[in-house]
Amino acid sequence: MSFLTILRRRLGFLILVVIGVSLITFAISHMIPGDPARLIAGDRASDAAVAAIRQKLGLDRPLYVQYGLYIAGFVQGDLGTSIRTGRPVAEDIIAFFPATLELVIAALMLSVLLGVPLGVASAVWRDRPIDHAVRSFAVIGISTPAFWLGLIVLLLFYGRLGWLPSGGAIDPLISPPAHYTGFDLVDAVIAGNAAALVSVVKHLILPAATLGFVHVGIVARQIRSAMLDQLGEDYVRTARAGGLSRSRVVLRHALPNAMIPSVTVLGLAFGDLLYGAVLTETVFAWPGMGNYVVASIQALDFPAVMGFTVVVSFAYVLVNLLVDLAYIVLDPRIKEIG
Amino acid sequence: MKRMLMTLGAVLTIGVAAPVSAIGATPKDVLVIGKAADPQTLDPAVTIDNNDWTVSYPAYQRLVRYESKDGKGLSSVTGELADHWTVSADGLVWEFKLKPGNSFADGIPVDAQAVKFSFDRLVKMKQGPGEAFPDDLAVTVVDPLTVRFTLTKAFAPFLYTLANNGAGIINPAVVANEKNGDNAQAWLSGHTAGSGPYQLTAWQKGQSLTLEPNPDYSGPKPAFAKVIVKIVPEASARRLQLEGGDLDIAEDLPLDQVQALSKTAGVDIGTYPSLRVTYLYLNNKKPPLDKPEVRRAIVKAIDTGAIIDGILLGNGKAMGGPIPDGMWGYDPTITPVTADVKEAKALLAKAGASGAKLSFALSDRDPNWQPIALAVQANLADAGVTVSLENLANATYRERLGKGEFDIAIGNWSPDFSDPYMFMNYWFDSSKQGLSGNRSFYSKAAVDDLIRKAAVAATQDERTGLYNQAQHIVVDDAAYVYLFQKNTQVAKRDTVKGYVFNPMLESIYNIDTMSKAD
Repeated sequence: MSFLTILRRRLGFLILVVIGVSLITFAISHMIPGDPARLIAGDRASDAAVAAIRQKLGLDRPLYVQYGLYIAGFVQGDLGTSIRTGRPVAEDIIAFFPATLELVIAALMLSVLLGVPLGVASAVWRDRPIDHAVRSFAVIGISTPAFWLGLIVLLLFYGRLGWLPSGGAIDPLISPPAHYTGFDLVDAVIAGNAAALVSVVKHLILPAATLGFVHVGIVARQIRSAMLDQLGEDYVRTARAGGLSRSRVVLRHALPNAMIPSVTVLGLAFGDLLYGAVLTETVFAWPGMGNYVVASIQALDFPAVMGFTVVVSFAYVLVNLLVDLAYIVLDPRIKEIG
Repeated sequence: MKRMLMTLGAVLTIGVAAPVSAIGATPKDVLVIGKAADPQTLDPAVTIDNNDWTVSYPAYQRLVRYESKDGKGLSSVTGELADHWTVSADGLVWEFKLKPGNSFADGIPVDAQAVKFSFDRLVKMKQGPGEAFPDDLAVTVVDPLTVRFTLTKAFAPFLYTLANNGAGIINPAVVANEKNGDNAQAWLSGHTAGSGPYQLTAWQKGQSLTLEPNPDYSGPKPAFAKVIVKIVPEASARRLQLEGGDLDIAEDLPLDQVQALSKTAGVDIGTYPSLRVTYLYLNNKKPPLDKPEVRRAIVKAIDTGAIIDGILLGNGKAMGGPIPDGMWGYDPTITPVTADVKEAKALLAKAGASGAKLSFALSDRDPNWQPIALAVQANLADAGVTVSLENLANATYRERLGKGEFDIAIGNWSPDFSDPYMFMNYWFDSSKQGLSGNRSFYSKAAVDDLIRKAAVAATQDERTGLYNQAQHIVVDDAAYVYLFQKNTQVAKRDTVKGYVFNPMLESIYNIDTMSKAD
């Protein structure tokens, strides 16, 4: 099967997944007891006033009509208007989602940049102190609640040492870079705004490290186990017997092979990080979608919840599609994927 | 390995336990307020949330404003945009003469047309804040500086409703931003268009809002060149930033954090009596609570003093009747009930309700509700009443309140305008049964008669008299359990000067007259 056929088929699945997610989210959000019209009107409003708002929002129509109208708008790029903020949902997503994505990508990069070398070292020096240290680190990482860790690093690096800022994505006293991409870091570089760039980097360190901490351990363990498999293979022994240096065998031969299964872990980690970002964002006042979505759920803001669920699941499915496609590139033996 | 871990542990412990050093102090002409959540919308005709009003209130002016005297905020009003006003003998026609010289931030003068535009929009949109105003409110421009409001039914609190955030006067030029007939709602959600001392100049969603002085404001030039409202969702982080000097004011801190901060150098905790009331709804329609003796027994069994001391750490004032201290109409002769289990038991026995089993509905809306519910459960157990707690999702809880599906439930209430109407008419009028106000489903013709008369009576004295009569009846009927009015605590740096707390303006700061010392 050609690469294009696979791509076309997977994109078809992607659309199905997004429709499925939208249908399930719609059903769940309408099953929650409570009336968004009442929330807008306030507790003290008369029933007539609440009914008028319900009619204005179209909440008095049958559910299938509401869903149909939503999908009709969705395919035209209209995600509806937020009940809570009165702004188009798409506008709110553009305001909040890039910050979350920026944090997740930074955390992911951190977990790869630290996790891979640690995993390799752990496998190469198996059962030596470094291996024990990496394995203990992985266990600590997996079992540390991000929320707690966030508060501790905040207390240490902001409260006690004063090295890093306590929260937000940029110092509010600095004029932010113009919006080109929505990613503050990238925008600061494009705008050539050095003060903003320094501020953005400083603000990104603690939340990205907190969020990435768990995954450093996961990536390290995954790489370690894959590397141990590879290091036990005949080709490694042959290469060593042929006179290749240990580092060359490890880095040029064993590691690329060990990376293939690890790519799957990264795809899954992306989803995990998106989910984990909610708590980290709260601790570090990171202006991402976490707090926005929580507030929207509490306000029964269906269009906002729907919009975010669909966009996030789209991003998740897309990343996993890219992971699958990466297999083909990384391993030419794989010609057919699910 | 062990040594490595021990070293790491020691570094962390020493680091975390060492005293906080103030690492940043905000500039003298910048005020930074730390808030738990991003405002939802800044449209005065839509928002009913004090969290939004921090930004919207100083951006708009209203016909009248709350007075303050000797650094204390009062619930009485005086003219803001209005120079003076008259009201017809029947209370139906209100005419306001505007002060000349007030302008919106784009230089356009504030005139009678702008007042008409704002109120017509408010009434047409019929969202939360519109509820305080009658649907058939007619606003007429008499001349550029005179505006007339005509009501079809007298409504004595009308003047006080004009100091609400919802009564902010909006620049009619916003119609240029109207989209699909939305009355510019989407635009005003994220922008301000008023004549107040400040205007919103930037909003980085989820992160910060920046207010800067309105160059055309007619009042004295404010001290702050910028007021930044910073969104810091986590309470511990807000506390840290206040200690570190990155925040000048930190909102919504839990009691234990406030207590800890009160010992911190450079931090000043202001404690003010508020009009926010916590009370219990006793479902007057459901047996055995339909009998006044049973309700009286419950009131008698609950030790409010212990709840205030134990749960609020003393930061509250016990209530005897529905109108809280600080609101005109408050009757100091109605004193809080002293708990007496013996008497409670006797009352229950007399009503044939000894050993009653009751449900108590609550939600996680307020962290104090659960400990209060547990205290009430224990108090009532002493009187032989078994209470089962139902901790519900907030949406479900509200739905149950509206339908009257509970025996006892807990709630908070704060007035939208400074008039006892907010307590007496909402809580006791039989036509407001349910979520809209009368959550105990209380009904008594004599009380309906008194409070409805008080709502239209011409003078404050006459209204006070009518409300007092009604108060005595409803207290005797034990329609609700009035627990306490909670103190508001404002945590700020001690360099911040001139803050005036007004119980009607929680989370709203007089940023135009505040300043910072060196």
